[in-house]
Amino acid sequence: MMFSAATGHKVVSSSDASTVGKVKGFVVDPASRSVVAIRLKKTDSGDTLRWSDLTAFGADAVTVTGADLIGEPDESVAALTDKDHKVLGKRVLTSAGDELGSVKDVDFDPDSGSVLALVLKDSADVAGSRLLGVGSYAVVVRAES
Amino acid sequence: MRLMRTSEIAKRPVVTMAGEDVAQIKDIVYAADGGSVGGFTLAGRGLFSGPRKEGLAWESVAALGADAVMISDESALEPVGAVVDKSRGAASGAGDVLGSQVLTDDGVALGTVHDVVVSVGESAGSQCDVVGYEVESSENLGTQGELVLIPLPDTIAASGEHLMVPRSVKEFVSRDLAGFGAAVDTFRAQLNGPS
Repeated sequence: MMFSAATGHKVVSSSDASTVGKVKGFVVDPASRSVVAIRLKKTDSGDTLRWSDLTAFGADAVTVTGADLIGEPDESVAALTDKDHKVLGKRVLTSAGDELGSVKDVDFDPDSGSVLALVLKDSADVAGSRLLGVGSYAVVVRAES
Repeated sequence: MRLMRTSEIAKRPVVTMAGEDVAQIKDIVYAADGGSVGGFTLAGRGLFSGPRKEGLAWESVAALGADAVMISDESALEPVGAVVDKSRGAASGAGDVLGSQVLTDDGVALGTVHDVVVSVGESAGSQCDVVGYEVESSENLGTQGELVLIPLPDTIAASGEHLMVPRSVKEFVSRDLAGFGAAVDTFRAQLNGPS
């Protein structure tokens, strides 16, 4: 599933079938090459939902057991949520020092949260397994040898 | 192997594998014999940031690419004095070479040095070899005033005023970097050859 397609998904509580939030963005950990949390439009209890707390990331909605899982980001997630760690729109550099383009979208596995591929503007997709780092200047991916 | 002009390396960002731009290249520090790049002096990023106290030794460079100089992390930087000491002698080498007159060993002036061309191996740990000069040609090359590339032997005699090259370089002059790598290889093979 693409970030662009998943953004705007409703977050629904499976205990009372109510909508408890709406997906606004994704928090990617370059070390595990996966989505570790989902950012929601601000709710009363917070704006962050840890990936491990999801019941499912479905084709039409995200389900959770209850609204109580939505909270403020914990320390490890907070460190990845600032704009320095945003992936979308950022330039992509290979480990060989060559620029490939900028990130237009991200394809992720809705079951595991793994980043499957970076979709680039004006360039071929980059497999998620090549992701090395996400910093203020660039997303760094392993150069193809 | 890829070739680049050193003027294109200056101002290139120094980026960690975590995607942070920690500095940018200010100047190139040549190894003592002038035949390879020993490292770089650095400037801070941004319009108003001046020179940095840290430098970057060539051994600490993970990759020199078309758009960035890659390092593993910020620990690759070290005091600029250490970088210059390691490459000893030629901290001002680039400034000295640019503008120098290129003379063949039979006393013909080919032109003045406009830029330095280096080759970078694909694998980490390979040398950043100085392979040629971009020269503003004199009338002796038949392309007066134009910029052409001339290959260099592995080592070269330089005084700051003149650079001595074998007379045979005249046969290996290139117009652009595309064919220049082959010209360097052929030229050096001929110099090192049995004849």
